[in-house]
Amino acid sequence: MAPQTRQAAIVGGNRIPFARSNGAYASASNQDMLTATLDGLVARFGLQGQLLGEVVAGAVLKHARDFNLTRESVLGSRLAATTPAYDVQQACGTGLEAAILVANKIALGQIESGIAGGADTTSDAPLAIHDEMRRVLITLSNARTVQQRLKALAGVRPGMFVPEAPRNAEPRTGLAMGDHAAITAKEWGIGRHEQDELAVASHRNLAAAYDRGFFDDLVTPYLGLARDQNLRPDTSVEKLAALTPVFGKGEGATMTAGNSTPLTDGASAVLLASDEWAAAHDLPVLAHLVDAQTAAVDHVHAGEGLLMAPAHAVPVLLARNGLTLQDFDFYEIHEAFASTVLATLKAWEDPSFCREKLGLDAPLGPIDRSKLNVNGSSLAAGHPFAATGGRIVATLAKLLHEAGRGRRGLISICAAGGQGVVAILES
Amino acid sequence: MTRRELEEAPSTAALFARAAATARGRGGALPDTRLARTGVVADPADVAAYARVCGFGLTGALPVTHPHVLTFPLQVALMADRAFPLALPGLVHVRNRIDALRPIGLGEALDLEVWAERFARHRSGATVDLCASVSAAGVEVWRGRSTYLARGATAPEGAPDADVEVGGGALPDGAVHWRVPADAGRRYAGVSGDVNPIHLSGLTAKAFGFKRAIAHGMWLEARALAALEGRLPEALTADVAFRKPVFLPSTVTLATAPADGGWDLALRNAVAGTEHLRGTVRPL
Repeated sequence: MAPQTRQAAIVGGNRIPFARSNGAYASASNQDMLTATLDGLVARFGLQGQLLGEVVAGAVLKHARDFNLTRESVLGSRLAATTPAYDVQQACGTGLEAAILVANKIALGQIESGIAGGADTTSDAPLAIHDEMRRVLITLSNARTVQQRLKALAGVRPGMFVPEAPRNAEPRTGLAMGDHAAITAKEWGIGRHEQDELAVASHRNLAAAYDRGFFDDLVTPYLGLARDQNLRPDTSVEKLAALTPVFGKGEGATMTAGNSTPLTDGASAVLLASDEWAAAHDLPVLAHLVDAQTAAVDHVHAGEGLLMAPAHAVPVLLARNGLTLQDFDFYEIHEAFASTVLATLKAWEDPSFCREKLGLDAPLGPIDRSKLNVNGSSLAAGHPFAATGGRIVATLAKLLHEAGRGRRGLISICAAGGQGVVAILES
Repeated sequence: MTRRELEEAPSTAALFARAAATARGRGGALPDTRLARTGVVADPADVAAYARVCGFGLTGALPVTHPHVLTFPLQVALMADRAFPLALPGLVHVRNRIDALRPIGLGEALDLEVWAERFARHRSGATVDLCASVSAAGVEVWRGRSTYLARGATAPEGAPDADVEVGGGALPDGAVHWRVPADAGRRYAGVSGDVNPIHLSGLTAKAFGFKRAIAHGMWLEARALAALEGRLPEALTADVAFRKPVFLPSTVTLATAPADGGWDLALRNAVAGTEHLRGTVRPL
């Protein structure tokens, strides 16, 4: 039976304010944050005790004990304990990918409602024992005789007692994500000033959105935090210009702590449903998830920038939907780094990149920058990896709903491993 | 009635020591003193540590049993005082009742008041209730009543009979297994201030007639309620009877069954089946 597909509705979202690493949520685990976020969504939409189709979420930095993070969070939440759940992980694309997965099941008629989300903490990080120590301990536990045990223990060296912390580095290149972004920034000639301007706009837009109450029904205070801890409403290009570059080397280095996203803790969740389910529960439909696309680049051997995959995904999505890059009322381009957003936009305007890398006859062209990240993005809010997708989907859906029917928005999220997840929402 | 306000939480370790030194020669009626603290804000790090030891998630509200550890030092101060008729060392917690009138937010300023009442006759001694009332902005938000048994003690003439039984229906075998480690008492002591020696080590427990260290009743209750995370009414009454002690280490099972909008629960030894705790949770 091949059912007719339908577009999944975005009913609303909830997140906790994002906290700086080792800040307000230093004691909170991913499960704590995800459960609190789910319960906030439950409270907002009266879902207490309700059986939903599925809850899909994930975390990028994950303890081994959190193998069933989402299901355990559901069990601790006020949702019906019979609500199924599973984990996904696609680095910074996790949250958006979760929303796409839920939306696709709704589109196929397999479920009527679902929650997509994500949580990440860089504070309660999964430290692992030194890998060689781990091997010693495995050998030790397999040892049968005293001699075998002693032999195993003889392999222990002092350095092995140092735990391994998760690194924000690419396994195959050994470079930090920021160092990769710095290479791309240099390649595309992205200047310091324009990066700082984008960062300032992010802070101002996010602060203004908080001030006009935009986030009142999207954010629930948690552990004493009511706004994102990283938000600096009074920052300025002058202040940011004073910062020393932290990524890239030498004269041309442009990327600072001010125009790069800091490590953050947080969680987000989005409620999706069929139109019928939303109507039956007397809940609003803010927007629909129209279509989505992923892409990946070979950042290891083919010379493409680590965070440039969305530049490849978007034209595929546009072509399938018969749209141009200019056919959008809002653009939500995840600000992993200011330079990433600027390099992506520049690539779409570049005839040779569009021809040679994207196989297009003409460049996608420029966008109206006044429609970009109008309520701020990751530079100001912070970026708890798996929580960013949910933040953006809920924000954009509400923006589109406010703007009226038939408005269209584009989401573009770059992810570690050279991947990108993009999607179209429409009110 | 005299009401005495304390500037800060007294040190329970010092109080236990003082109570032990002055255990002999006590008697008479319960003092009508009330001890109080005002404007108490739970330290978020303390709450997080308490939550971790008891199995609660961090939700932005105090774990439902947490106000007990805020009021406990005041109750110990009351019991350690020479005017208190029973010797604190050796008192056994036999019942606890909590009325949580609403969730208490982290960071809320709380007024605490504790007192003792209901000196009662028990078949193996006498019981007394240590009560606590917690208010926020002048409105009561949480009540606690802990019944302690003093073996061999005598209640005053005309005292009522002790009331140490809780209700609840039949329960299935427990589905939830906990391995309670040998250091469970020390871990809970660290986050609750309940440094009663019967919980801390085998040696100190033996001094009070227990063959091994025993788990704190309030930890068992907290952990049982934490296991019902997300399934509890917002406002609730939890009524728990502590039966046979949990000797450390142990494996226990938690049995739960929905009842009247709340839960009946029992904690049993996983091997012998002896009942350690029996309780009810009802919406308030």
